Amino acid sequence: MLKSIKVFTLIFLVVVLVACNGGQSSTSTSSGSTNEEAGQNSNEVEESNNEEDRTLVIGIPTDIKSFDIHDHNQIITEAVHINIFSYLLKRDKEMEVQPDLVKDYKVIDDEVWEFDLKEGVTFHNGDVLTANDVKFTLERVAKDEALTEHSRLKVIKEVKVLDDHKFQIITDGPQPTLINLLSRIGSGILPQKYIEENGWDHFLSNPIGSGAFKFVEWRRDDRIILEPYENYYGGNIQDVDQVVFRVVPEVMTRINELITGGVDIVTDLTPDDITRIEDAEGVSATSAPSQRVALLGIQHREGYVTSDPKVREAIELAIDNEAITEHVLKGEATPTRTRVTPGNFGSNPDLFNTQLYDIERAKQLLQEAGYPNGVDITLTVPSDRYLKSKEVNETIAAMLKQAGINVNVQFVEYSRFVEMRNTGDFGDLYFAAYGNSLFDGSIALEEFATETGKERAGYENQEIADLWNEAHTNMNTQVRSKQYQKIQEIVAEERPHLYLYLQNEVYGTSDKVNFTPRTDSMIVIEDFIQ
Amino acid sequence: MTYIIRRLFQVIPVLIIVSFLVFLFVYLSGDPVALMLPEDASQAEIENMRKVLGLDKPFIVQYGIFLLNAVNGDFGQSFIYKQEALGIVLERLPATFELMIASIIVSTIIAIPLGVWSAIRRNTFVDLFISSSSILGKAMPNFWLGMMLVLLFSVTLQLLPVSGKGTIYHLILPAITAGTAMAAQLTRMLRSHMIEVLSQDYIRTARSKGLGSFVIIFKHALRNSMLPVITIIALQISTLVGGALITETVFSWPGLGQLIIQAIHARDMAVVQACVLVIAVFVIVVNLLADLLYRVVDPRIKYN
Repeated sequence: MLKSIKVFTLIFLVVVLVACNGGQSSTSTSSGSTNEEAGQNSNEVEESNNEEDRTLVIGIPTDIKSFDIHDHNQIITEAVHINIFSYLLKRDKEMEVQPDLVKDYKVIDDEVWEFDLKEGVTFHNGDVLTANDVKFTLERVAKDEALTEHSRLKVIKEVKVLDDHKFQIITDGPQPTLINLLSRIGSGILPQKYIEENGWDHFLSNPIGSGAFKFVEWRRDDRIILEPYENYYGGNIQDVDQVVFRVVPEVMTRINELITGGVDIVTDLTPDDITRIEDAEGVSATSAPSQRVALLGIQHREGYVTSDPKVREAIELAIDNEAITEHVLKGEATPTRTRVTPGNFGSNPDLFNTQLYDIERAKQLLQEAGYPNGVDITLTVPSDRYLKSKEVNETIAAMLKQAGINVNVQFVEYSRFVEMRNTGDFGDLYFAAYGNSLFDGSIALEEFATETGKERAGYENQEIADLWNEAHTNMNTQVRSKQYQKIQEIVAEERPHLYLYLQNEVYGTSDKVNFTPRTDSMIVIEDFIQ
Repeated sequence: MTYIIRRLFQVIPVLIIVSFLVFLFVYLSGDPVALMLPEDASQAEIENMRKVLGLDKPFIVQYGIFLLNAVNGDFGQSFIYKQEALGIVLERLPATFELMIASIIVSTIIAIPLGVWSAIRRNTFVDLFISSSSILGKAMPNFWLGMMLVLLFSVTLQLLPVSGKGTIYHLILPAITAGTAMAAQLTRMLRSHMIEVLSQDYIRTARSKGLGSFVIIFKHALRNSMLPVITIIALQISTLVGGALITETVFSWPGLGQLIIQAIHARDMAVVQACVLVIAVFVIVVNLLADLLYRVVDPRIKYN
């Protein structure tokens, strides 16, 4: 018996020693090779804890969809694309739209915009970027119905090339948001000649743009590797030799990678992760307001209790948004009564960072509405889609119960939720959280001015429809802004949506990287690496 | 040979049934377009995209089109990646195989000595210790084990990489995580069969002939205990190729498991179908190989 235990212990120790030795050699090998060969393989790429390491590694939760800039509709994909493909106009760190590929632009008339391209801009293969590339890119998305960005950019009727660097965009009617449309998701410019010569499939696996970084390799579900483009018109990036976007789906693994120096920046953390990061050395958590606003959609159809304005008001008064943002979301959100938050064109500051919480008044309103003994309602929530949606909605249900509103919270799979919401089959309330990459009130308010509001919640308001339709084509920015603000006031009063909070995006960063998150959730490397 | 050809022909109806069931389940599980368009896309935009992608056609027409194309080797384009689905799936196979083979090596290295040792030291402390460890190994959730290994070996001791695929060192923790439960099952199975074999007459005869313990155990007893081991390894290979999903997620391993789960989430029918059919073919081939291996291990087995 004693002999067996000895043998077993010996084997165990040998295994542990072999493992330890193997691990040490792993670290030293990779560190050494990182210095010498600047990222020839994955192990080198990950050793960012080496002082001389010149590879920036960013941990992202999902892989990019593809290099088709017009067909992804995904923030993470665009966060990679934006470093490869230049836009005509791009938002700076303060979210102000600045000329990027263009030198200058002017509005010729309500439907014609003229742009002047910078000279000497080249794609990563050396081809010069001209107005023909712009025409090729914009007309592709404007005409191809199968592309996800088509619905936004179909307002472009034609791109007229005047010379190599000058072109006009002819829009379908006045389009005051054209500049916003050209500086959001899918606004990169494609290389016409390269695509026509090599084919679209070749482009998708070997993409080139004219941005600060050129594509090196994409290992699906693993990593995307980029290198600075030496002839970048904005100035060659010199502080890094490589940038690697590493796909790390599990949030705990992303944090562990950050703590051990495997990655320099991690995205898509939750407020609950902040403490763990702050407790570790050499790393910190940072956050910024996103464009995502959480809301409750409210049923307006006859036959539902929420068709009564008093019940809708009671629901709003019974929800303590500050408590939700402070305790459930750990301060990483701001209460709001509008979806057009500051930084978006047409935002109404009176409706931001405020709430109407008054539980006693809520109870009184419910009595006035004819429900002295309380009322039962259904709240439909898409499961696993939005940040802490389970906790938030269970808290909302508990808050509403205090006012006498008994909520049956039903969690459903997302595509089922979309169907239920779009056909008005969600019960009395639904929970969602919408983004707004246009930075303009039009998208946020469109639902109430079109058939969509009627289809979803039986809500229609002619005043909103008139205001929105006028604003949608109004080239006078001051008047348009006032029109959007007025719509928001009506929405806050009639509550087709009851807005809850603007949520923050939480990131983890190594202290060696001077990364400041952006409100549009993009990771523009030239913002923080020279 | 006739047996092999007959078995391979049986694959065809199996694949058709599998493809129909997968198509039906993915179809019933929801609309991919809702996931492709912006969150606040209107019903009209959704309907338009459904039409463009041919998703407005009746189920049976959609399946018929798929089946006709699949016969010609075309599984269609991925909704997400906009590329040939089969190519996307085949791209992940090397990573899946790498993890699968490493896990099998880890589990076999652990299970064979422990199973044999446990059997020959039956009802001793060693046996009790190994049996208890096996139960623990089987009972431990993969997710938890993976996380614990990362916290110990990567975060605290900083000996191994946390996640990703690259060098042999990246493979150690995922292989241990995926291989542990399999090792536990193998150990228990091997122990019980070894105990049975060791009580057989031919073992007694071998002992009375004066053969050494090593030869008796590893040449005679172990070989005759291998049939259940082969069965379990074959079954585990099927499970692992279908996706050591949890292990792949914890360790950011870019294998088939991650791909299939993403494809299911996005209702990416072409990729789901390609994944399932590749896995089905693989499972059938592995089972066939296992059957053939039985005959090598035990020549008394005959296939007619």
